[in-house]
Amino acid sequence: MLSRGLFDKLLWLALLLLAAALVVVVVRATGSSGPSANKVLDKAMERAMTYQSRVALIRELYGPVEVLLQAGQDQSALLKLAEIEKTYPGEAHGQMLKGSIQARLGAIDEAVASYATGVKLRGDYVDKENPLSWRVEIGRIVETGLQTVSARLATNPDNRTAKATMKQLYYLQSRLAGGCE
Amino acid sequence: MKSLPCPSFPRQHLLFAGILLTVVLLFVACKGEEQSNTVYRIGYMNCNTESETIARFGPLTAYLSEKTGLKFEMVTVNTEDFEERFNQGEFAFSHTNSLLYVILKERSGLKLLASEKRGQFGARSAGTIIARKDSGITTLADLKGKRLVFGPFMAPTGFVAQYDLLLRAGIDPEKDLAYYAVPPGSYKHEKVLYGLLYGQYDAAAAPALDLEVMTREGKIAADDFVVLAQSAIIPYCTFGVGSDVDAKVVAKVRKALAELTPASTAEFDGERVKVLKAAWVDGFEELLDSDFDPLREMAKRAKMPPYEEY
Repeated sequence: MLSRGLFDKLLWLALLLLAAALVVVVVRATGSSGPSANKVLDKAMERAMTYQSRVALIRELYGPVEVLLQAGQDQSALLKLAEIEKTYPGEAHGQMLKGSIQARLGAIDEAVASYATGVKLRGDYVDKENPLSWRVEIGRIVETGLQTVSARLATNPDNRTAKATMKQLYYLQSRLAGGCE
Repeated sequence: MKSLPCPSFPRQHLLFAGILLTVVLLFVACKGEEQSNTVYRIGYMNCNTESETIARFGPLTAYLSEKTGLKFEMVTVNTEDFEERFNQGEFAFSHTNSLLYVILKERSGLKLLASEKRGQFGARSAGTIIARKDSGITTLADLKGKRLVFGPFMAPTGFVAQYDLLLRAGIDPEKDLAYYAVPPGSYKHEKVLYGLLYGQYDAAAAPALDLEVMTREGKIAADDFVVLAQSAIIPYCTFGVGSDVDAKVVAKVRKALAELTPASTAEFDGERVKVLKAAWVDGFEELLDSDFDPLREMAKRAKMPPYEEY
């Protein structure tokens, strides 16, 4: 059996250890909170800066195309897009612009294909809150496309182009509804 | 036990039945042999030169033979000879621009098979009238008294569409221009654009597809020209087939064309080549004959074949 003096000493030791552990935990917790929060902030800032610079680059890059479109020069705008595409072949914004011109000129299958390519490259084009949102235009072509293409398929069910367009229309429709890839 | 009597046929009847069966058998065998030996000829309209046509469409012809199990041969044909040679039965299949398709459809009963897809408008293209950006010409009205260059006479988006655009804008190309020209020889479409670019003409009739292709290739820049007017989009080059060709053969060819992908290859001139790449084509689409109606309307207004008036 432990003597009373030894029991007191062990109790004091345990209390000391507990206090030390508490100090370590508090120091570690307060010491690490600053850099971690900074890291989160840095990432958010980085994302915002990347996004802002992307928007600025797109406005600069496609500015001449927008000018041509405002002047009603659809074909010249398409040629300008073809030039830009040589340098930036994977840029979604060019696909969206191309799609809108193709739709206006009556090339519905090609317009749908361009929009689908653009949305696959950057899903935020269907996002309502996005400053580069193309949601209204995509919604419009989905609505008219589903009618015209299904009518074509009704008269010619084996038409592969119409089938492919229908598939892309369903893809765009699902993305508008919030569906994933 | 008494045996049953055998049914008795006169020997002559048996002999006759045997001969009849042999004849039928020979006929069927010969018919099959004949079908497998039939050579189907495809007439390809020369765009520029015969050698270019062979290089472009030789692999496609070889592909059709490989894919369908039938025998195909290519025939290169100049645009102005096409109708006559088709009507003489030189070839059963045709690959032409969309205006020639309309002409052969209206006059010789050609049937639509499949249409080529190439460029930003797929199986269609448009005709444009362009001027140099620094020319000061900004509208079709400015073209009065100016020099204009067209593409080939029978080109839907190099001549017909633009002729129609001018007429509809109140400009009679025969009276209101200083003059109009069509470049001689081959590579007319390129000559049209370079003729304009280097100042030989004030305006040009250019297919939208040519502008797109030459811009992509870096031969011209989008900023070089201003587009004064552009037609509706109309079908591009098209495969057709004579009305007397077996429906099963037609279906096989149509399916083979529709199934072409950029990866499809064929044995041509001793090597395996990519068919679509060689042909400068993105793929094939099944259009309806009614899709050619906008072109028909243009040809009627411009009094072009098959609606010419003198």
